[in-house]
Amino acid sequence: MDPRDTIAAVSTPPGRGGIGVVRISGKSAIAVAGCLLRFPHPPSWKPWSAALAELIDSDGHTVDQVIATYFAAPRSYTAEDVVEISCHGAPVVLRLALERACASGARIAEPGEFTLRAFLNGRIDLPQSEAVRDLIEATTLYQARIAAQQVDGAVSRKLAPLKRQLLDLIALLEAGIDFAEDDVSVASDEDIARRLAPVEAGIGQLVRSFAYGKLVHQGFTLAIVGRPNAGKSSLFNRLLEQDRAIVTEIPGTTRDLVSETASIAGLPVRLVDTAGIRESQDVVERLGIERSFQAMADADLTLVVVDRHAGVSPEDLELIGKARAQGRCLVVANKCDLGGADPGTDAVSVSALTGEGIEPLRQAIVAGLGGGAALNEDGGFITSIRHEALLRESLEALQHGREALGHGLPHEMLLLDFYAALAPIDSITGATTADDILNRIFSTFCIGK
Amino acid sequence: MIAGMRRYEVIVIGGGHAGCEAARACARMGLETAMVTMNLDLIAQMSCNPAIGGIAKGHLVREVDALGGVMGEVADEVGIQFRLLNTSRGPAVWSPRAQCDKKQYRIRMRERLEREPNLRIVQAEVAAFLMTELGGGRRRVDGVKLRDGRDLAAGAVIVTTGTFLNGLAHVGQTTYSCGRNGEPPAVLLGDQLRSSGLQWARLKTGTPPRLDGRTIDFSRFERQEGDACPTPFSFLTGRIDREQVCCFIGYTTGDTKALIQEAIGRSPLYSGQIEGVGPRYCPSIEDKFVKFPDKDRHQIFLEPEGLDTNEIYVNGMSTSMPVDVQAAMIASVPGLERAEMIRPGYAIEYDAVDPRELSHALEVRRIEDLFLAGQINGTSGYEEAACQGLLAGINAARKVQGRDPVVLARTAGYCGILVDDLVTKGADEPYRMFTSRAEFRLHLRIDNADERLTKIGREVGLVCDRRWVVFEEKQRQKHAVAALLARTRVNPEIVGELARPGDRPAMDVWLRRPEARIDTIRAWIERSMGVPLVEGVLATVETEIKYGGYLQQQQRQVERLRSSERRPIPSGFVYREVPGLSREIREKLERVAPVNLGQAARIPGVTPAAIAVLDVYLSLNSTR
Repeated sequence: MDPRDTIAAVSTPPGRGGIGVVRISGKSAIAVAGCLLRFPHPPSWKPWSAALAELIDSDGHTVDQVIATYFAAPRSYTAEDVVEISCHGAPVVLRLALERACASGARIAEPGEFTLRAFLNGRIDLPQSEAVRDLIEATTLYQARIAAQQVDGAVSRKLAPLKRQLLDLIALLEAGIDFAEDDVSVASDEDIARRLAPVEAGIGQLVRSFAYGKLVHQGFTLAIVGRPNAGKSSLFNRLLEQDRAIVTEIPGTTRDLVSETASIAGLPVRLVDTAGIRESQDVVERLGIERSFQAMADADLTLVVVDRHAGVSPEDLELIGKARAQGRCLVVANKCDLGGADPGTDAVSVSALTGEGIEPLRQAIVAGLGGGAALNEDGGFITSIRHEALLRESLEALQHGREALGHGLPHEMLLLDFYAALAPIDSITGATTADDILNRIFSTFCIGK
Repeated sequence: MIAGMRRYEVIVIGGGHAGCEAARACARMGLETAMVTMNLDLIAQMSCNPAIGGIAKGHLVREVDALGGVMGEVADEVGIQFRLLNTSRGPAVWSPRAQCDKKQYRIRMRERLEREPNLRIVQAEVAAFLMTELGGGRRRVDGVKLRDGRDLAAGAVIVTTGTFLNGLAHVGQTTYSCGRNGEPPAVLLGDQLRSSGLQWARLKTGTPPRLDGRTIDFSRFERQEGDACPTPFSFLTGRIDREQVCCFIGYTTGDTKALIQEAIGRSPLYSGQIEGVGPRYCPSIEDKFVKFPDKDRHQIFLEPEGLDTNEIYVNGMSTSMPVDVQAAMIASVPGLERAEMIRPGYAIEYDAVDPRELSHALEVRRIEDLFLAGQINGTSGYEEAACQGLLAGINAARKVQGRDPVVLARTAGYCGILVDDLVTKGADEPYRMFTSRAEFRLHLRIDNADERLTKIGREVGLVCDRRWVVFEEKQRQKHAVAALLARTRVNPEIVGELARPGDRPAMDVWLRRPEARIDTIRAWIERSMGVPLVEGVLATVETEIKYGGYLQQQQRQVERLRSSERRPIPSGFVYREVPGLSREIREKLERVAPVNLGQAARIPGVTPAAIAVLDVYLSLNSTR
């Protein structure tokens, strides 16, 4: 992998699409593209503007009408000369373009190599290059916005003040050791604890924010459970905004899990409708009910639907108790259009039929996932599992340091923990970089990004 | 018959703390060595404070000793007050310091040098180097030209000229050229080195006034006694039971502050007269008051310069104020109202070579066979000088012997850190050692300096048989004691009241408890071992048991450092070819020419992103 080569790749996903893009990056990007293309109207290569051209085969026959865009170094994604050729998306056309590029002096890019170059050329830092991968893989707009914020360095920015506070503390202790002969007052245990607390709290908050960040990154699963005929399938359809599940008045209509992907407040969500839970002699129905419990166990959040009109039954309460014991859960009091007593303050009243209360329910779902505060923080949470692991390591070192402080250990030993807490932060903000990290990051990139 | 040019294998220019170690090391390693000094009577002069050691500096002396150097033994012989510093913390940062009799230090050092059969001491001023052009901007030094007309040939030359190169002293508005304390400066050599194309820095250091002890009212000061049981620097020194003297602690007053503020315009530091950069860790008293205006008083220490002199060193009051201001400053301190000044304080500016011109062997990269050590490399302190002198001596000798240089790792000792920092980071201000510079601080202790370095000293031929025997016996005992502790269970006969009924862990497990001390079981260990214990062996055993967990934790952190040390950067590597390195960073890398990625990462201003880029680039290159 020579970073001085000119590289080319198809940078749109594999398969047939309306448009397919071939990207060429490197010193001879223009020369390579010039061999593929014929321009009807010179001047041809004006930087940062698109030009109509013809894609020609080796015999000079026109194969496709394309748009070529030239990004001059260093103002391009890779900070090198880049030419992007938008062809019509037939795989055979794209393959021809790529083959012609390779015949003209380019080589096929390795996975992640465009981003590697952006990194090598100082266009983006390490967390940014990870965020680029997230951006590429985003499935909702909200995800994309968060990833874009991280490309912008939101994590590094969030960490910067914590790192500074930690460095302040380290400096304080170091001064006490190296200038013990001088008139330097030694930091008291109380002072150290007081300075340690905000760093520990800040890192801890970031670590915890991963629970939500993970949902943003990977999406979450929402199971809808309840007794038969509570209106689970209606609610499912209402949240999906389409008639996906079969809804009848016959209790026990849904016998197997029905799942569908939707977006709630920008988060990708897998909704799972389940069979109504009741004592049943029917073998098929009993299997379905088992699966309902399984779905509840697998879900990030469970909606327990009760029939507000009919009133909350002991079986409902039992189910709510089960759901709570297993994890996060929300009680949804359905059929509020029919009246009935308010089932309690922590239940959300809705009418799946009329749509009443659905918006508050969506908000309650997001809040129930722990995203209430984080949502307003604009990227103040972490989405990368690597960052989570590192910050957890940092947090553990800080906690260890606090315990060591309590045991009255000498400062040079405390510092060991504080440096151990700093090193993982360094690897996020970019101070320490090991080969394996780089390799792992770049190997998760698809070709042509 | 008049002989031709005299030839030595190594010539050392300068007889200060670096020069002494360098000359003695070369001589001991069997090379015909000459030390050329401007004044024979001022060999090993302690030009500033009358103390050796201190935090991190004490570690350096201990390491110099472990390698077979001489500073520690002499300091032990002439120390008049010993203190082990930082004992409120763990053993890793304990550091010995000793007030020394300055005159005795000179005398004892000179005696030792004169006993070296391979060493000649020559009193002369070196006027110039004899050089040969090698082409490609490289040269080789072949010897020196003395001011008295003689030429001396040499296989290698070590320059340890301290502050003598173009030295310029300041006392108020008065300036005069000097080396130190009124000695003549080395102008000719300074001029030649200046014009040799090496990068230079102008540095500054200072020293406080000295007082006549008979005119001081010591009763107004707090007494600072030495330790009841002195900690020696040398592994070869047994008990020190010489009578110790006392130092005294006092404070400046509001009057001191007021008169310094009033006279600040007459300070050469603030009038723009001094251009050199001084050390931030050792500011002048006027600096302290200007930079910390909220602090009303500053600590000062009165330290005797020796046993048979009345001269008192006023530590903490370094100054270049005019003499009348100095006198008033002194009189403003309670107890010094009637004190008489023997010598005023002064600041001195001098030339230092940018140490990034050097390799890890302390050889000038562009001038073959020329080695530099001590203050000329931008360091401050006797101990930093001694350490470099020793290493430059070892490496000059090895160069002449046709052997590879000895480069100590940062994880092997403060000596290694000192050299690596200098050649990697340069010295923007006079460089002093601190324990915080050490990544592997818990391991770099005074008790195990021998374990880390004596083997290396033995291999190069510096460690004498006596030291080697002591070392080997200590290692043997260390392992034997550790084994003894591991196989014996606690019982009341050994540990007395500290034993708990029904609780009988192995002795080494027991030792990890905070209340357990190895000293309390010393008698039992000696009985079980059947031989007298070597000095310090129990301290090492105890530390390694008590702090074993932390030592391992640090070891893991150090592994991270080592992995990047293992990525070598080929010599002559062309940074221009690496995409994405800014011009500024590229120039820094070219200037230092780091030998591996770890060193590159330590260059100030080289960003982690640049290191990541370089890392990727090097790995791509190595696989291609």
